[in-house]
Amino acid sequence: MAPETDSLFPSSQGGESSLPLGLTLLSGAIAAAVVFPLVWILANALEVGGTTAFNLLTRETTVRVFVNSTLLVAVVTAATIAFAVPLAYLTVRTDLPFKRFWTVALSMPLVVPSYIGAFAFVSAFGPRGELQSLLAPLGIEQLPEIYGFTGAALVMTLYTYPYVFISTRASLKTMDARLVDAARTLKHSRWEAFRRVTIPQIRPAVTAGALLVALYTLSDFGTPAIMRFDVFTKVIYAEQNSLSTFGQDLAALLSLQLVIVTFVILAIESRVRGSDTISTQGTSTRGAEVRLGAWKWPALALCLGVAGLALIVPVGILTAWLIRGGSESAAASLAFQWEYAFNSVGVSAVAALVAGLAGLPIAYLAVRHRSRASWLIERASYVGYAVPGVVMGLALVYFGARYGGRLYQQELILFPLLIFAYVVRFLPQAVGSTRAGFLQVSPTLSDAARTLGRSPVAAFREVTLPLVAPGLLGGALLVFLTTMKELPATLLLRPTGFKTLVTHIWSAQASGHFGHAAIPALVLVVVSALSMLVMLAMEGYDVK
Amino acid sequence: MDSRDTSDASPAGSRNRRASGTSRRRFLQSAGTLAGVASLAGCTQFMSGEETNTTETPEFGQIGSGRLGDQIQGGTSMKDMPDLSGEITIYSGRGEALVGELIAYIESLYPELDIQPRYEGSSQLVQKILNEGQNSPADVFFSVNAGSLGFLADENRTEPLPSEITDMVRTEFHDPDGNWVGTSGRARTIPYNTDSLSESDLPTDIMAFPDQEQLRDSMGWAPSYGSFQAFVTAMRILNGEEATKQWLEGMLDLGVEEYTDEFAIALAVADGEIDAGFTNHYYIQRVLADREDAPLATAFTEGDAGAIFNVAGACVVDTAADPEMAANFVRHLLSAEAQAYFATTTYEYPLIPDVEPVGNLPTIDELNPPANLDLTQLSDIRPTLDLMREVGISV
Repeated sequence: MAPETDSLFPSSQGGESSLPLGLTLLSGAIAAAVVFPLVWILANALEVGGTTAFNLLTRETTVRVFVNSTLLVAVVTAATIAFAVPLAYLTVRTDLPFKRFWTVALSMPLVVPSYIGAFAFVSAFGPRGELQSLLAPLGIEQLPEIYGFTGAALVMTLYTYPYVFISTRASLKTMDARLVDAARTLKHSRWEAFRRVTIPQIRPAVTAGALLVALYTLSDFGTPAIMRFDVFTKVIYAEQNSLSTFGQDLAALLSLQLVIVTFVILAIESRVRGSDTISTQGTSTRGAEVRLGAWKWPALALCLGVAGLALIVPVGILTAWLIRGGSESAAASLAFQWEYAFNSVGVSAVAALVAGLAGLPIAYLAVRHRSRASWLIERASYVGYAVPGVVMGLALVYFGARYGGRLYQQELILFPLLIFAYVVRFLPQAVGSTRAGFLQVSPTLSDAARTLGRSPVAAFREVTLPLVAPGLLGGALLVFLTTMKELPATLLLRPTGFKTLVTHIWSAQASGHFGHAAIPALVLVVVSALSMLVMLAMEGYDVK
Repeated sequence: MDSRDTSDASPAGSRNRRASGTSRRRFLQSAGTLAGVASLAGCTQFMSGEETNTTETPEFGQIGSGRLGDQIQGGTSMKDMPDLSGEITIYSGRGEALVGELIAYIESLYPELDIQPRYEGSSQLVQKILNEGQNSPADVFFSVNAGSLGFLADENRTEPLPSEITDMVRTEFHDPDGNWVGTSGRARTIPYNTDSLSESDLPTDIMAFPDQEQLRDSMGWAPSYGSFQAFVTAMRILNGEEATKQWLEGMLDLGVEEYTDEFAIALAVADGEIDAGFTNHYYIQRVLADREDAPLATAFTEGDAGAIFNVAGACVVDTAADPEMAANFVRHLLSAEAQAYFATTTYEYPLIPDVEPVGNLPTIDELNPPANLDLTQLSDIRPTLDLMREVGISV
C-alpha cells in the first residue's frame, strides 16, 4: 500500500523506482503528438494582435459565453455525480431488485449520441413538440421551457452520467467491503461508514468519470446548439461560419480560451482526486448486501426515471421517424447501406486499438512511476479531449495538406489522419480506464515474478498485463463507442466517398429526410449497445 | 440565460387546429422543425443552415428526355456543351439530397468522366480549401451562397471563368472579375395565409412590419437560419445598425413566433397557425407542391432587405488540375437541363434567360431586389449575430 498525496505537482518520493528512460520517452512522445495539433490553434490565436485580442475577449458576448460554458460544465458535472454515485451504489451494494437489468439499462444512455438525444428531447418536449400535441386536447397549452440552460444541462447530464456510473461501479465492486463492515462494528452509522470508508475509496473513480463528463460537456457542440444555449463551441461555430477574417480570429482565440479552461479543469480534478488507493492484493470481498426495505420503491423509481427518460425518448422518436419515413419519398442517394455500418465499426475499432496501446505506457507511468514528468504526460494526454472536433479536424487538414504532399492529394494519409484525430480526442478514456486497472494490481505481484527470475518485460507481460487487461479493454471499448458517435472530424478528414453511420445521419437530417436518418441512428445505437454489453459482461475493471 | 421564446404567445386555437391535423402533416411539421434543428446540430458543425428540406424525389432518369425534358424552355443543352473527361473533385456546400442526382446525371453523360463530390457546409469547405493551401484536391467549389464564393475569391483562391460562361447570366449574378458565377437564385419573401390576409394587408416596406397591429402574435421567423441572418445582414448594411436593432426589437414586441426552420414557417402559414412569416421563396413552392389547394401565397417587399435575391453558385478553385475542364463543368450547371432541374426540383430561380421559375412566382425581371447590394457582403454575419444577441435572440 502506498497512499500518497497527489498534489498538483507530486514529487517523485512516492514512486516505486526511478523513471525508466525508454518508457518515459515513449509516453512523452505520445503526449507530445497528442498536444501537437494545439500548436495550430496557438499559432492562429497569436496572429491576432494583443489589443484586438483583448477587445475581442472582453466583449460582452465573449464574457457571457465564458460564464455560460463554465456554469454548464459545473452544473452538469455536479448533477452527474449526484445521480450516478447513488445509482452505482444501488446496483452494486444493495438488494435492489433486477440489479443486472438496471446496470445495463443505466449504462446504455452512453451509446446514444448526445445530439440525437437533444433532437429527441426538443421534438418531444419542445413548444410545438410531440408531447404538447398529445396533451393539447386536454387543454395543456404549453410545457415547461426546454430550450436554454435547463434543456442543455438536462440532456448533457442524461447522456454523460454513465461515465461516472460505470467507473464508480467498478470501484465499488473492487473495494474491500470488509472495511465497511469493520466500520459498522465500530458503531458507525451506515451513513458515517459510507462517508468515512467508502467515499475515500471511490473518490478517484468518481473524479475520473467526472473529468470525462466535464471535458465532454465543454467540447460538445450539438446539445447546446440544439438547446440554443451559447457556449464556446457554439460561438466558435458561428464565428467560423461568418467567413470574415475577424470571425476566424475570434474562433481561434475562443478555442485557446477553451484549452485554458481545460487545463484548469485538469488541475482541479488532480486536486480533488485525492489519494489513489492501491488495491488490496487483488482480494476484495463482498460485504453484506445493504437491505433497502421500504426504500426499495424510491430507489426503483429513480432507476426507472433516469433510464426511462434517457432511453425511451430518443428510441421513441427515432421509431416514429422510421415509421413515418416509410411513406416519405426521398432522394435515392440517401438509401441506407450496410457499408456505412462496416465503415463506422472499422475506423472505430482501429481507433480503439491505437488509443488502447497509446494509453498503456502513459497509464503505467502515471501509476507506477510518479513524478512531475509522468504527471505532466498524463495530464497532457487529456487536453485534446476538450478541443471541439471541428477545430481538431481543421488543424489536421492544415498539417496533412502542408506536409503530406502527394500523399494528401491521393488521400493516402487521410485514414491515418482520421485515426490520429480520434486518438487525440479520445485517448483520455483509454488512459483513465487503464490507469484504474493498474491501481488495482499490486506492484508486489510483478516484484514476486522478478524474484522468480522473470525479466521486467516478461514479468509485465505474464503477470501485470493479464490483470490490467479488463481495464485496458474497457478503455478501448469506451473509445470505440465514442468514435462511433464522432462527426465533425470525420466529415473533414474522411476520404471522399467514405461514409459512416453518422455522416449518413448528418446528410439525411440536413435534407429533412428523417426516415433515412432513423435507420442509421438505430443501427448506431444497436452496435454501440452490443459493445456496451461486452464491456458490462466483463464489468470493466473487475479483475477477478 | 436564454432569450424569450415567443411561441408562448401563440393563440390557443391554433394549437388545437394543429393537433387535429393529419399525422402526415404533423410529420412534415416536426420534420421541418427538426431539420432546422439539424442544421445546428453537432452533427452539424458542418451545416450551412441552408440546404434543408426537399419534398421531391429528383427523377433523373428522366432528365433531358422525360418529365424535365418537356419543360426545358430555353438555354443550351448539355449535348451542345464541350465534353467532360477525367477526374473532377467537387466540394459541394449544396446538400447531397438536393444536387446529388444532378451531379450523378452529368457524370453518367460522359464515359470518361469521374466526378468525386464531397458534401459539407459551404463555410467549412471554404476553410478547408484555405487550410489545404496549394495541396487542395478541389477543382470546383459549388456553394449555397455568394458570400462564401466571394470570400474564396478575396483570398485569391479562384481561377477566373471565361466570359462566355459568366455572360450566360446577368451581370449582377456573377463576379465582375469572373471569379464565380451564380447558378440558381433564391428570393426573400413573405408567405401569407390567403384565408386571413390579402396581399394588400401586407406592407411593401420591410421596415414597416413591426408597426402592423393586424399581424400581432401571428408572424413567424427563424432567427437561427442562415438565410434569415443574411437578410438581417442586408438590413444592417442598407439601413444601419440602429434601425436594424429597432426592427428586431419591434418584431419581438409584436409577438413574432420563433421557428427553427423556414420550411416549418411556410407549413405553419399554410395551416393557419400563423398568418405570415419571413422565408426564402422556395419553401412556399415546396409546400404548394405537396398541397396544391393550401391557402398560401407569396408576397414581396420592394427594393429593401426584405427582397434580397441571393444566388447559389460555383467557381473553379485555383488548385484545379485542369481549369478548363473544371470551368466546363460549371458551364454544365448553367445548361438548359440543370436550370430546369433547379426550377422544378429545388424550386429555385433559374438564372439563364428563357428558363422560367416554376409555380406562381414573378419572373426575375419583375422582382425588386435592393439596388447596389453586394451579395458577397451578406456572409459577414458576425456583427449581425452580435446585434441579434443584444436584443435577446439566442442564435
